[in-house]
Amino acid sequence: MTHSKDISINKTITSRRNFLKLAGPFALFLSCPAYAFDLFKIIDPEGKNKDINKAKQALEGLTGIIQSAEGIDYPSEFTIGQTLALEGFQYYGLPVKNEKLQKYVTTLGNAVAKNSNRPEIPYYFVVVDTPIYNAFSCPGGIVFLSGSLVKGMNDEAELACVLAHEVAHVSHKHALSSVRRAKFLEGAAKIGTVNMQGEEGKQFRDMVGNLQTVLFDKGLDQGMEYEADESGMETAYRTGYDPNGLVRVLKMLQEKQAGATAKGSWFSTHPPLSSRLEKCYKWQKKYPDAAQMATVKNRFLTYREMI
Amino acid sequence: MKCFYVFLTFLFITAAAAPLPAFGATTLYVTSDSAELKAESSSSAETIAELKRGAELTLETTEGRWYRVTAENGRTGWIYRGKVSEDKPDIEDIEGGGDGLGGLLGGLSGSDISADAADSSRSIRGLSPEAKEYAESTGTPQQSQDALDYVLSLSIADPEIDQFLKQGKVGEYAE
Repeated sequence: MTHSKDISINKTITSRRNFLKLAGPFALFLSCPAYAFDLFKIIDPEGKNKDINKAKQALEGLTGIIQSAEGIDYPSEFTIGQTLALEGFQYYGLPVKNEKLQKYVTTLGNAVAKNSNRPEIPYYFVVVDTPIYNAFSCPGGIVFLSGSLVKGMNDEAELACVLAHEVAHVSHKHALSSVRRAKFLEGAAKIGTVNMQGEEGKQFRDMVGNLQTVLFDKGLDQGMEYEADESGMETAYRTGYDPNGLVRVLKMLQEKQAGATAKGSWFSTHPPLSSRLEKCYKWQKKYPDAAQMATVKNRFLTYREMI
Repeated sequence: MKCFYVFLTFLFITAAAAPLPAFGATTLYVTSDSAELKAESSSSAETIAELKRGAELTLETTEGRWYRVTAENGRTGWIYRGKVSEDKPDIEDIEGGGDGLGGLLGGLSGSDISADAADSSRSIRGLSPEAKEYAESTGTPQQSQDALDYVLSLSIADPEIDQFLKQGKVGEYAE
Protein backbone atom coordinates (compact mmCIF):
# COMPACT_ATOMS: atom_id res chain seq x y z
CA MET A 1 0.00 0.00 0.00
CA THR A 2 2.84 2.33 0.95
CA HIS A 3 4.69 1.27 -2.19
CA SER A 4 1.75 2.07 -4.45
CA LYS A 5 1.32 5.38 -2.63
CA ASP A 6 5.01 6.14 -3.28
CA ILE A 7 4.56 5.29 -6.95
CA SER A 8 1.55 7.54 -7.11
CA ILE A 9 3.46 10.38 -5.39
CA ASN A 10 6.43 9.81 -7.74
CA LYS A 11 4.13 9.86 -10.76
CA THR A 12 2.61 13.12 -9.57
CA ILE A 13 6.07 14.63 -9.07
CA THR A 14 7.18 13.40 -12.52
CA SER A 15 4.09 14.79 -14.22
CA ARG A 16 4.56 18.09 -12.40
CA ARG A 17 8.18 18.18 -13.58
CA ASN A 18 7.09 17.33 -17.13
CA PHE A 19 4.35 19.92 -16.93
CA LEU A 20 6.93 22.52 -15.95
CA LYS A 21 9.22 21.32 -18.75
CA LEU A 22 6.37 21.62 -21.27
CA ALA A 23 4.92 24.87 -19.96
CA GLY A 24 7.94 26.87 -21.13
CA PRO A 25 7.94 25.62 -24.74
CA PHE A 26 4.14 26.00 -24.97
CA ALA A 27 4.31 29.58 -23.68
CA LEU A 28 7.16 30.24 -26.10
CA PHE A 29 5.21 28.61 -28.93
CA LEU A 30 2.47 31.18 -28.55
CA SER A 31 4.96 33.98 -29.15
CA CYS A 32 7.48 32.30 -31.45
CA PRO A 33 6.93 28.68 -32.59
CA ALA A 34 10.47 28.13 -33.93
CA TYR A 35 12.08 28.88 -30.56
CA ALA A 36 9.74 26.43 -28.82
CA PHE A 37 11.25 23.55 -30.80
CA ASP A 38 14.77 24.78 -29.94
CA LEU A 39 13.85 24.78 -26.25
CA PHE A 40 12.64 21.17 -26.53
CA LYS A 41 16.10 20.23 -27.84
CA ILE A 42 17.75 21.86 -24.83
CA ILE A 43 15.44 20.15 -22.29
CA ASP A 44 15.61 16.73 -23.94
CA PRO A 45 18.56 16.66 -26.38
CA GLU A 46 18.31 12.93 -27.14
CA GLY A 47 14.54 12.92 -27.58
CA LYS A 48 14.03 10.08 -25.07
CA ASN A 49 11.29 11.66 -22.98
CA LYS A 50 7.94 10.29 -24.21
CA ASP A 51 5.90 13.20 -22.84
CA ILE A 52 8.12 15.73 -24.52
CA ASN A 53 7.99 13.78 -27.79
CA LYS A 54 4.18 13.76 -27.61
CA ALA A 55 4.18 17.49 -26.94
CA LYS A 56 6.51 18.04 -29.91
CA GLN A 57 4.11 16.13 -32.16
CA ALA A 58 1.18 18.17 -30.85
CA LEU A 59 3.03 21.41 -31.54
CA GLU A 60 3.97 20.24 -35.05
CA GLY A 61 0.28 19.57 -35.78
CA LEU A 62 -0.66 22.93 -34.34
CA THR A 63 1.94 24.63 -36.54
CA GLY A 64 0.35 23.04 -39.60
CA ILE A 65 -3.09 24.30 -38.63
CA ILE A 66 -1.75 27.78 -37.97
CA GLN A 67 0.04 27.85 -41.36
CA SER A 68 -3.18 26.87 -43.14
CA ALA A 69 -5.18 29.44 -41.23
CA GLU A 70 -2.66 32.21 -41.88
CA GLY A 71 -2.90 31.57 -45.60
CA ILE A 72 -0.42 30.85 -48.28
CA ASP A 73 2.85 32.54 -49.12
CA TYR A 74 3.18 35.21 -51.79
CA PRO A 75 4.85 33.11 -54.55
CA SER A 76 2.02 30.57 -54.36
CA GLU A 77 -0.61 33.30 -54.26
CA PHE A 78 0.94 34.87 -57.36
CA THR A 79 0.98 31.55 -59.23
CA ILE A 80 -2.71 31.01 -58.44
CA GLY A 81 -3.28 34.56 -59.72
CA GLN A 82 -1.45 33.78 -62.97
CA THR A 83 -3.59 30.74 -63.68
CA LEU A 84 -6.72 32.76 -63.01
CA ALA A 85 -5.44 35.52 -65.32
CA LEU A 86 -5.06 32.91 -68.09
CA GLU A 87 -8.76 32.14 -67.64
CA GLY A 88 -9.57 35.85 -67.50
CA PHE A 89 -8.14 36.49 -70.98
CA GLN A 90 -10.31 33.67 -72.35
CA TYR A 91 -13.44 34.91 -70.59
CA TYR A 92 -13.14 38.66 -71.15
CA GLY A 93 -10.76 39.13 -74.07
CA LEU A 94 -7.17 40.01 -74.83
CA PRO A 95 -5.29 43.21 -73.91
CA VAL A 96 -6.18 46.35 -75.86
CA LYS A 97 -3.35 46.68 -78.36
CA ASN A 98 -1.93 50.00 -77.32
CA GLU A 99 1.38 50.04 -75.47
CA LYS A 100 1.01 53.68 -74.33
CA LEU A 101 -2.42 53.06 -72.82
CA GLN A 102 -1.28 49.90 -70.99
CA LYS A 103 1.80 51.69 -69.64
CA TYR A 104 -0.35 54.63 -68.49
CA VAL A 105 -2.76 52.39 -66.55
CA THR A 106 0.14 50.36 -65.13
CA THR A 107 1.91 53.51 -63.93
CA LEU A 108 -1.22 54.93 -62.31
CA GLY A 109 -2.04 51.56 -60.74
CA ASN A 110 1.43 51.26 -59.23
CA ALA A 111 1.29 54.86 -58.00
CA VAL A 112 -1.81 54.12 -55.93
CA ALA A 113 -0.57 50.66 -54.90
CA LYS A 114 2.46 52.28 -53.22
CA ASN A 115 0.04 53.89 -50.78
CA SER A 116 -2.09 50.81 -50.22
CA ASN A 117 -1.89 48.59 -47.14
CA ARG A 118 0.20 46.05 -49.08
CA PRO A 119 2.79 47.96 -51.13
CA GLU A 120 5.49 45.29 -50.82
CA ILE A 121 4.32 43.20 -53.76
CA PRO A 122 4.51 44.11 -57.46
CA TYR A 123 1.19 44.88 -59.16
CA TYR A 124 0.25 44.42 -62.82
CA PHE A 125 -2.61 46.11 -64.66
CA VAL A 126 -4.19 45.37 -68.02
CA VAL A 127 -7.03 46.90 -70.02
CA VAL A 128 -8.83 44.18 -71.98
CA ASP A 129 -10.90 44.57 -75.10
CA THR A 130 -14.48 43.76 -74.08
CA PRO A 131 -17.86 45.54 -74.18
CA ILE A 132 -18.61 44.27 -70.64
CA TYR A 133 -18.27 46.79 -67.81
CA ASN A 134 -16.00 45.10 -65.30
CA ALA A 135 -12.80 45.12 -63.31
CA PHE A 136 -11.40 42.36 -61.16
CA SER A 137 -8.16 41.37 -59.53
CA CYS A 138 -6.39 38.04 -59.36
CA PRO A 139 -4.61 36.93 -56.18
CA GLY A 140 -1.02 38.17 -56.08
CA GLY A 141 -1.70 41.44 -57.91
CA ILE A 142 -2.82 41.06 -61.54
CA VAL A 143 -5.65 43.55 -62.13
CA PHE A 144 -8.01 43.43 -65.13
CA LEU A 145 -10.05 46.40 -66.38
CA SER A 146 -12.45 46.33 -69.27
CA GLY A 147 -11.97 48.92 -72.01
CA SER A 148 -15.67 49.80 -71.70
CA LEU A 149 -15.34 50.67 -68.04
CA VAL A 150 -12.37 52.97 -68.71
CA LYS A 151 -14.23 54.55 -71.65
CA GLY A 152 -17.13 55.42 -69.35
CA MET A 153 -14.88 57.41 -67.01
CA ASN A 154 -14.09 61.11 -67.28
CA ASP A 155 -10.92 61.79 -65.31
CA GLU A 156 -7.81 60.20 -63.78
CA ALA A 157 -9.18 60.37 -60.23
CA GLU A 158 -12.04 58.06 -61.27
CA LEU A 159 -9.58 55.57 -62.74
CA ALA A 160 -7.31 55.89 -59.69
CA CYS A 161 -10.23 55.04 -57.39
CA VAL A 162 -11.21 51.95 -59.41
CA LEU A 163 -7.59 50.74 -59.53
CA ALA A 164 -7.24 51.37 -55.79
CA HIS A 165 -10.48 49.39 -55.22
CA GLU A 166 -8.98 46.43 -57.10
CA VAL A 167 -5.63 46.77 -55.30
CA ALA A 168 -7.58 46.61 -52.03
CA HIS A 169 -9.05 43.25 -53.05
CA VAL A 170 -5.50 41.97 -53.57
CA SER A 171 -4.10 43.53 -50.41
CA HIS A 172 -6.92 42.12 -48.28
CA LYS A 173 -6.63 38.73 -50.08
CA HIS A 174 -10.38 38.73 -50.69
CA ALA A 175 -10.45 36.22 -53.55
CA LEU A 176 -8.40 33.63 -51.68
CA SER A 177 -10.49 34.11 -48.54
CA SER A 178 -13.59 33.31 -50.57
CA VAL A 179 -12.21 29.88 -51.53
CA ARG A 180 -10.40 29.14 -48.26
CA ARG A 181 -12.44 25.97 -47.87
CA ALA A 182 -11.14 24.55 -51.15
CA LYS A 183 -9.74 21.04 -50.71
CA PHE A 184 -6.46 22.06 -52.32
CA LEU A 185 -5.85 24.73 -49.67
CA GLU A 186 -6.94 22.53 -46.75
CA GLY A 187 -3.91 20.25 -46.97
CA ALA A 188 -1.54 22.98 -48.08
CA ALA A 189 0.60 23.02 -44.97
CA LYS A 190 1.16 19.28 -45.01
CA ILE A 191 1.54 18.20 -48.63
CA GLY A 192 5.01 18.63 -50.08
CA THR A 193 4.48 18.06 -53.79
CA VAL A 194 1.60 17.96 -56.24
CA ASN A 195 1.32 16.41 -59.67
CA MET A 196 -0.87 18.34 -62.11
CA GLN A 197 -2.02 15.02 -63.59
CA GLY A 198 -2.94 13.53 -60.22
CA GLU A 199 -5.54 14.17 -57.53
CA GLU A 200 -3.80 17.30 -56.25
CA GLY A 201 -3.70 18.67 -59.79
CA LYS A 202 -7.46 18.13 -60.00
CA GLN A 203 -7.93 19.88 -56.65
CA PHE A 204 -5.82 22.79 -57.90
CA ARG A 205 -7.92 23.13 -61.08
CA ASP A 206 -11.11 22.87 -59.01
CA MET A 207 -9.90 25.72 -56.82
CA VAL A 208 -9.13 27.89 -59.90
CA GLY A 209 -12.61 26.98 -61.18
CA ASN A 210 -14.13 28.13 -57.89
CA LEU A 211 -12.20 31.39 -58.13
CA GLN A 212 -13.54 31.91 -61.65
CA THR A 213 -17.10 31.39 -60.44
CA VAL A 214 -16.55 33.92 -57.66
CA LEU A 215 -14.80 36.60 -59.72
CA PHE A 216 -16.47 36.22 -63.13
CA ASP A 217 -19.97 35.20 -62.11
CA LYS A 218 -21.15 35.26 -58.49
CA GLY A 219 -18.98 38.06 -57.17
CA LEU A 220 -17.17 38.42 -53.87
CA ASP A 221 -18.90 38.75 -50.53
CA GLN A 222 -20.68 42.13 -50.28
CA GLY A 223 -18.70 43.03 -47.17
CA MET A 224 -15.49 42.60 -49.14
CA GLU A 225 -16.75 44.95 -51.85
CA TYR A 226 -17.63 47.63 -49.31
CA GLU A 227 -14.22 47.19 -47.68
CA ALA A 228 -12.54 47.60 -51.09
CA ASP A 229 -14.63 50.72 -51.79
CA GLU A 230 -13.61 52.31 -48.49
CA SER A 231 -9.94 51.31 -48.91
CA GLY A 232 -10.01 52.44 -52.53
CA MET A 233 -11.22 55.92 -51.62
CA GLU A 234 -8.64 56.17 -48.84
CA THR A 235 -5.73 54.96 -51.02
CA ALA A 236 -6.64 57.29 -53.90
CA TYR A 237 -6.87 60.20 -51.42
CA ARG A 238 -3.51 59.36 -49.83
CA THR A 239 -1.95 59.32 -53.30
CA GLY A 240 -3.41 62.77 -53.94
CA TYR A 241 -6.52 62.03 -56.00
CA ASP A 242 -10.10 63.13 -55.39
CA PRO A 243 -11.70 60.16 -53.57
CA ASN A 244 -15.10 61.17 -54.95
CA GLY A 245 -13.91 59.71 -58.24
CA LEU A 246 -15.39 56.43 -57.02
CA VAL A 247 -18.78 58.03 -56.47
CA ARG A 248 -18.72 59.41 -60.02
CA VAL A 249 -17.86 55.97 -61.46
CA LEU A 250 -20.67 54.30 -59.53
CA LYS A 251 -23.13 56.94 -60.74
CA MET A 252 -21.92 56.44 -64.32
CA LEU A 253 -22.50 52.70 -63.97
CA GLN A 254 -25.99 53.36 -62.62
CA GLU A 255 -26.79 55.24 -65.83
CA LYS A 256 -25.30 52.52 -68.04
CA GLN A 257 -26.87 49.61 -66.18
CA ALA A 258 -30.20 49.58 -68.04
CA GLY A 259 -28.84 48.70 -71.47
CA ALA A 260 -25.68 46.86 -70.45
CA THR A 261 -24.80 43.15 -70.49
CA ALA A 262 -25.23 41.86 -66.94
CA LYS A 263 -23.45 38.49 -67.14
CA GLY A 264 -19.83 38.76 -66.06
CA SER A 265 -20.16 42.50 -65.42
CA TRP A 266 -19.85 44.73 -62.35
CA PHE A 267 -23.65 44.72 -62.23
CA SER A 268 -23.77 40.99 -61.52
CA THR A 269 -20.54 40.58 -59.53
CA HIS A 270 -20.86 43.60 -57.23
CA PRO A 271 -23.47 44.70 -54.65
CA PRO A 272 -26.30 46.98 -55.83
CA LEU A 273 -24.93 50.36 -56.88
CA SER A 274 -27.45 52.23 -54.70
CA SER A 275 -26.19 50.58 -51.50
CA ARG A 276 -22.55 51.15 -52.49
CA LEU A 277 -23.25 54.81 -53.17
CA GLU A 278 -25.04 55.16 -49.86
CA LYS A 279 -21.93 53.93 -48.05
CA CYS A 280 -19.61 56.09 -50.16
CA TYR A 281 -21.60 59.19 -49.22
CA LYS A 282 -20.84 58.41 -45.56
CA TRP A 283 -17.11 57.93 -46.23
CA GLN A 284 -16.98 61.20 -48.20
CA LYS A 285 -17.21 63.04 -44.89
CA LYS A 286 -13.69 61.87 -44.03
CA TYR A 287 -12.33 64.02 -46.86
CA PRO A 288 -13.46 67.63 -46.38
CA ASP A 289 -10.80 68.91 -48.81
CA ALA A 290 -11.62 66.35 -51.53
CA ALA A 291 -12.55 69.08 -54.00
CA GLN A 292 -8.98 70.40 -53.87
CA MET A 293 -7.47 67.02 -54.74
CA ALA A 294 -6.23 66.13 -58.22
CA THR A 295 -8.54 64.94 -61.00
CA VAL A 296 -6.12 65.25 -63.99
CA LYS A 297 -8.84 65.30 -66.60
CA ASN A 298 -6.87 66.27 -69.71
CA ARG A 299 -4.18 63.61 -69.42
CA PHE A 300 -6.83 60.95 -68.82
CA LEU A 301 -8.87 61.99 -71.86
CA THR A 302 -5.77 61.74 -74.08
CA TYR A 303 -5.32 58.09 -73.10
CA ARG A 304 -9.03 57.29 -73.15
CA GLU A 305 -9.02 58.15 -76.85
CA MET A 306 -6.66 55.20 -77.38
CA ILE A 307 -9.30 52.59 -76.52
CA MET B 1 -1.88 53.11 7.84
CA LYS B 2 1.80 54.02 7.80
CA CYS B 3 2.39 51.24 5.27
CA PHE B 4 -0.32 52.70 3.07
CA TYR B 5 1.41 56.11 2.93
CA VAL B 6 4.77 54.44 2.24
CA PHE B 7 3.13 52.55 -0.64
CA LEU B 8 1.53 55.74 -2.01
CA THR B 9 4.89 57.54 -1.84
CA PHE B 10 6.53 54.62 -3.67
CA LEU B 11 3.84 54.74 -6.39
CA PHE B 12 4.29 58.49 -6.80
CA ILE B 13 8.09 58.24 -7.11
CA THR B 14 7.83 55.35 -9.59
CA ALA B 15 5.29 57.21 -11.73
CA ALA B 16 7.41 60.37 -11.71
CA ALA B 17 10.52 58.45 -12.75
CA ALA B 18 8.83 56.54 -15.59
CA PRO B 19 9.67 57.85 -19.08
CA LEU B 20 6.18 58.96 -20.09
CA PRO B 21 5.64 60.41 -23.57
CA ALA B 22 5.14 64.16 -23.77
CA PHE B 23 1.50 65.15 -23.35
CA GLY B 24 -0.28 65.39 -26.71
CA ALA B 25 2.60 63.91 -28.75
CA THR B 26 1.25 61.97 -31.75
CA THR B 27 3.17 59.01 -33.08
CA LEU B 28 2.98 58.40 -36.81
CA TYR B 29 4.29 55.56 -38.95
CA VAL B 30 5.47 55.59 -42.54
CA THR B 31 2.89 53.49 -44.39
CA SER B 32 3.87 54.05 -48.02
CA ASP B 33 6.36 51.95 -49.90
CA SER B 34 8.88 54.77 -49.75
CA ALA B 35 8.91 58.24 -48.26
CA GLU B 36 11.26 61.18 -48.15
CA LEU B 37 11.89 63.53 -45.27
CA LYS B 38 12.17 67.03 -46.72
CA ALA B 39 13.93 70.11 -45.36
CA GLU B 40 10.83 72.21 -46.09
CA SER B 41 7.14 71.59 -46.75
CA SER B 42 7.57 71.15 -50.48
CA SER B 43 8.37 68.26 -52.83
CA SER B 44 11.09 70.38 -54.42
CA ALA B 45 12.87 70.94 -51.08
CA GLU B 46 16.07 69.09 -50.23
CA THR B 47 15.61 65.45 -49.20
CA ILE B 48 17.25 64.99 -45.83
CA ALA B 49 16.42 61.31 -45.29
CA GLU B 50 14.83 58.32 -47.04
CA LEU B 51 12.37 56.71 -44.66
CA LYS B 52 11.46 53.04 -44.68
CA ARG B 53 7.93 51.71 -44.35
CA GLY B 54 7.10 51.29 -40.66
CA ALA B 55 9.53 54.02 -39.51
CA GLU B 56 8.25 55.75 -36.38
CA LEU B 57 7.87 59.53 -36.35
CA THR B 58 6.67 62.11 -33.85
CA LEU B 59 4.31 64.75 -35.19
CA GLU B 60 5.42 68.30 -34.37
CA THR B 61 3.06 70.45 -36.43
CA THR B 62 1.14 70.55 -39.71
CA GLU B 63 1.12 72.96 -42.65
CA GLY B 64 -1.45 72.24 -45.36
CA ARG B 65 -0.85 68.71 -46.62
CA TRP B 66 2.59 68.52 -44.99
CA TYR B 67 3.55 67.30 -41.52
CA ARG B 68 6.62 68.43 -39.61
CA VAL B 69 7.95 65.35 -37.84
CA THR B 70 10.92 64.10 -35.85
CA ALA B 71 12.39 60.74 -36.81
CA GLU B 72 13.72 58.20 -34.32
CA ASN B 73 17.28 59.39 -34.93
CA GLY B 74 16.24 62.90 -33.87
CA ARG B 75 16.21 64.43 -37.35
CA THR B 76 13.36 66.80 -37.99
CA GLY B 77 11.82 67.52 -41.37
CA TRP B 78 8.63 67.53 -43.44
CA ILE B 79 6.70 64.63 -44.91
CA TYR B 80 3.63 64.49 -47.19
CA ARG B 81 0.54 63.46 -45.18
CA GLY B 82 -0.40 60.61 -47.54
CA LYS B 83 2.78 58.73 -46.62
CA VAL B 84 1.99 58.32 -42.93
CA SER B 85 -0.68 57.01 -40.59
CA GLU B 86 -1.31 56.72 -36.88
CA ASP B 87 -1.72 52.97 -37.40
CA LYS B 88 1.43 50.89 -37.54
CA PRO B 89 1.54 49.01 -40.86
CA ASP B 90 1.89 45.24 -41.11
CA ILE B 91 5.05 44.52 -43.04
CA GLU B 92 4.91 41.36 -45.09
CA ASP B 93 7.84 39.10 -45.93
CA ILE B 94 7.18 38.30 -49.58
CA GLU B 95 10.27 36.17 -50.07
CA GLY B 96 8.29 33.05 -49.17
CA GLY B 97 10.42 29.99 -48.58
CA GLY B 98 8.20 28.68 -45.77
CA ASP B 99 6.70 25.23 -45.53
CA GLY B 100 3.32 26.38 -46.76
CA LEU B 101 1.80 26.17 -50.20
CA GLY B 102 5.01 27.43 -51.83
CA GLY B 103 6.44 23.96 -51.41
CA LEU B 104 3.19 22.49 -52.58
CA LEU B 105 3.09 24.48 -55.80
CA GLY B 106 6.79 23.93 -56.31
CA GLY B 107 5.89 20.36 -57.04
CA LEU B 108 3.90 21.37 -60.07
CA SER B 109 7.08 21.70 -62.05
CA GLY B 110 9.30 19.65 -59.84
CA SER B 111 11.15 22.71 -58.58
CA ASP B 112 10.59 25.24 -55.83
CA ILE B 113 9.09 28.57 -56.76
CA SER B 114 12.04 30.88 -56.79
CA ALA B 115 12.04 33.47 -54.04
CA ASP B 116 13.12 36.11 -56.55
CA ALA B 117 9.72 35.70 -58.25
CA ALA B 118 8.62 38.20 -55.62
CA ASP B 119 11.62 40.47 -56.00
CA SER B 120 10.68 43.89 -54.72
CA SER B 121 12.49 45.69 -57.54
CA ARG B 122 9.50 44.80 -59.72
CA SER B 123 11.76 43.21 -62.29
CA ILE B 124 10.49 41.71 -65.52
CA ARG B 125 9.44 38.10 -65.29
CA GLY B 126 7.32 35.86 -67.42
CA LEU B 127 4.77 33.18 -66.84
CA SER B 128 5.81 30.91 -63.99
CA PRO B 129 6.62 27.24 -64.78
CA GLU B 130 3.66 26.21 -62.63
CA ALA B 131 1.23 28.43 -64.57
CA LYS B 132 2.70 27.09 -67.83
CA GLU B 133 2.06 23.55 -66.66
CA TYR B 134 -1.49 24.54 -65.74
CA ALA B 135 -1.92 26.07 -69.22
CA GLU B 136 -0.74 22.85 -70.86
CA SER B 137 -2.95 20.63 -68.74
CA THR B 138 -6.05 22.75 -69.45
CA GLY B 139 -5.36 23.45 -73.13
CA THR B 140 -5.15 27.21 -72.58
CA PRO B 141 -4.78 28.97 -75.97
CA GLN B 142 -1.31 30.28 -76.74
CA GLN B 143 -2.64 33.82 -77.20
CA SER B 144 -3.81 33.90 -73.56
CA GLN B 145 -0.36 32.77 -72.43
CA ASP B 146 1.24 35.45 -74.63
CA ALA B 147 -1.14 38.06 -73.20
CA LEU B 148 -0.13 37.19 -69.64
CA ASP B 149 3.55 37.20 -70.58
CA TYR B 150 3.04 40.68 -71.99
CA VAL B 151 1.29 41.98 -68.86
CA LEU B 152 4.01 40.58 -66.61
CA SER B 153 6.65 42.33 -68.70
CA LEU B 154 5.14 45.76 -68.05
CA SER B 155 7.35 46.88 -65.19
CA ILE B 156 7.39 50.41 -63.82
CA ALA B 157 10.34 51.85 -61.91
CA ASP B 158 9.82 54.18 -58.94
CA PRO B 159 11.33 57.25 -60.69
CA GLU B 160 8.76 56.80 -63.49
CA ILE B 161 5.95 56.87 -60.92
CA ASP B 162 7.36 60.05 -59.35
CA GLN B 163 7.66 61.68 -62.76
CA PHE B 164 4.07 60.66 -63.57
CA LEU B 165 2.74 62.22 -60.35
CA LYS B 166 4.85 65.33 -60.91
CA GLN B 167 3.48 65.81 -64.43
CA GLY B 168 -0.08 65.44 -63.16
CA LYS B 169 0.61 67.68 -60.10
CA VAL B 170 -0.70 64.94 -57.87
CA GLY B 171 -0.16 64.46 -54.12
CA GLU B 172 3.08 65.95 -52.86
CA TYR B 173 3.56 67.60 -56.29
CA ALA B 174 0.28 69.54 -56.10
CA GLU B 175 0.66 73.30 -56.39
